[in-house]
Amino acid sequence: MKKPGISFAILVVTAALLAGGCGTARRGAPLAPAFVPADPVVARGQQVFYAQCHHCHPHGEAGLGPALNNKPLPGFLVKFQARHGLGTMPAFSQDRLPADELDALVAYLAALRASPAPEIAD
Amino acid sequence: MLDRSLLPATLATLLATAAGCYSLRPSAGAGQADFSPPRQPRAEAVAVPPGYRVELVATGLTFPTGVDLDDAGRIHVVESGYSYGEDFTTPRLLRIEPDGRITPIATGGRSGPWTGVTHHRGNFLVADGNVLEGGRLLRISPAGRIDVLVSGMPSLGDHHTNGPVAGPDGWIYFSQGTATNAGVVGRDNFDFGWLARHRQFHDVPGADITLSGESFTGENPLAGGEGRVTTGAFSPFATPGRPGQVIRGTVKCSGGLLRVRPEGGEPELVAWGFRNPFGIAFAPDGALYVTDNGYDDRGSRPVWGAPDVLWRIEPGLWYGWPDFAGGLPLTDSRFRPPGKRSPGFLLARHPNPPPQPIARMAVHSSANGFDFSRNARFGHEGEAFVAIFGDQAPTVGKILGPVGGKVVRVNVRTGVITDFAVNRASESGPASRVGVAGLERPIAARFNRDGTALYVVDFGVLLMSPGGAEPKRETGVLWRITRNQ
Ligand code: HEC
Repeated sequence: MKKPGISFAILVVTAALLAGGCGTARRGAPLAPAFVPADPVVARGQQVFYAQCHHCHPHGEAGLGPALNNKPLPGFLVKFQARHGLGTMPAFSQDRLPADELDALVAYLAALRASPAPEIAD
Repeated sequence: MLDRSLLPATLATLLATAAGCYSLRPSAGAGQADFSPPRQPRAEAVAVPPGYRVELVATGLTFPTGVDLDDAGRIHVVESGYSYGEDFTTPRLLRIEPDGRITPIATGGRSGPWTGVTHHRGNFLVADGNVLEGGRLLRISPAGRIDVLVSGMPSLGDHHTNGPVAGPDGWIYFSQGTATNAGVVGRDNFDFGWLARHRQFHDVPGADITLSGESFTGENPLAGGEGRVTTGAFSPFATPGRPGQVIRGTVKCSGGLLRVRPEGGEPELVAWGFRNPFGIAFAPDGALYVTDNGYDDRGSRPVWGAPDVLWRIEPGLWYGWPDFAGGLPLTDSRFRPPGKRSPGFLLARHPNPPPQPIARMAVHSSANGFDFSRNARFGHEGEAFVAIFGDQAPTVGKILGPVGGKVVRVNVRTGVITDFAVNRASESGPASRVGVAGLERPIAARFNRDGTALYVVDFGVLLMSPGGAEPKRETGVLWRITRNQ
């Protein structure tokens, strides 16, 4: 077992980062270069995202739910949130979102977030 | 690695902090903005992919809802004559001359909303939502003569008679939205304005149905809030439903997709169980598609998190309203509004397992008129270009960020949705919301005959206050998008 102190430090730092949610959450066309997944896993994850998540997190921006693209959401956090649905978000069981689809989803969200954000003069 | 024993607590805290908690944050919808006239739209404020060009074709329109071109390529637009917020103007069919001048072709008296137009064999077909006298399908000659092809559509409520489009089979397709959000007349319908006008109006099914009998008790706004009343599904306000009660179906039903011969006559029901099937279009392969506005978190039977969807239509099927959203049962806990209970089923039996949608679009985004690209020169052949009007939060429910105010394209094979025309701003939303001079509330997108130009009808500014919708006259715009190379 590691010292709880280290976990706590990670917790505080990550929470502070997440709470900020800095910068625009917009990605891809038409404001930035189109996001076209090259990796087949990312492409699969994109389809899963549009079937399961987009309607509440449109393109990873805010909508019914909060924006996802503008904060450093580690994969394990995305998985935990999808499986447990903390807060008002629904939980996704294995039936609705099999493990391989969730893996692909996490890969997609990471690639999308890392893609260039648009430069907007406002 | 994190300490295992601390993991759940750590994650919970992280996510709670990050999300800032849905329940604590105020709504931040597309219409929760300020506006002072005049609207001064500029094409440069709209971003489209490289190689495409945006132009302003007409400005100063009042509540435009549809566009089509005649055989000579002349542009025609319909102005609704009615907007949410109970603003009655005059419905009009207008020709936009090449120099931008506007020539009125026909006016509709005090009816409306006129929700769409199609040029067909020398005439214009117009869907007349007529919230005062019932929905109709009109044929308007180039000289402005109006003939009624269909009348008596149940269009007195929340959603209206929509369309029309001409099918490859020679029939005219049009649709009818539901009277209510989720099958039960209530306080929200009084707030919209129509319940006081039409106290007996309610939803009607497209086939005989048997009720589960669930009824809903609430205040009685018709009696100034005095006393409580109980209302059942598919029943007039203050009329309870009984378990096993059979409600007779009718062709002119709520949430139906219909077709009629171009010369008129009796319409046929193509499919039903939609909520507000606003957009109708045929794909290049001849398949019929419909956009459908999902449930709101309002009224006696609120539903949370229901997407707007794109359906591919299989004739004869029921598409799920009022018991399913986008193919999933409303009894699933995902649709339970925070702090309220899950909706129960209103029907004792369902006509068929509802189909699954082709695409799920943003909750409350109001995915409306659309068309398919059919020309490789424009690009994205076979994809659906959909006008996204944008949410009407907080009336429809709470939202954390504005949705809509854009045109998206949908790949109907993969369900992947890509923004096509958006405002140049750091977040999505109508121009008045995000502080630019671009798209406000796109309501229809339609290609010209050869598929080289996409016309986007922009309804204009529609603000939302706690009291409801505040539409702004003379802020409507027609945009055109073409490709340079
Ligand atoms: C029905 C709407 C809905 C759907 C569908 C949905 N979410 Fe959420 N999501 C929310 C809401 C609302 C929150 C905020 C929860 C709260 O604060 O109560 C949220 C929060 C999150 C968070 C935490 C964000 C943050 O700022 O900490 C992540 C990560 C997330 N969702 C990922 C997903 C993924 C991945 C999917 C698809 C598998 C998905 N969501 C589907 C509504 C939804």
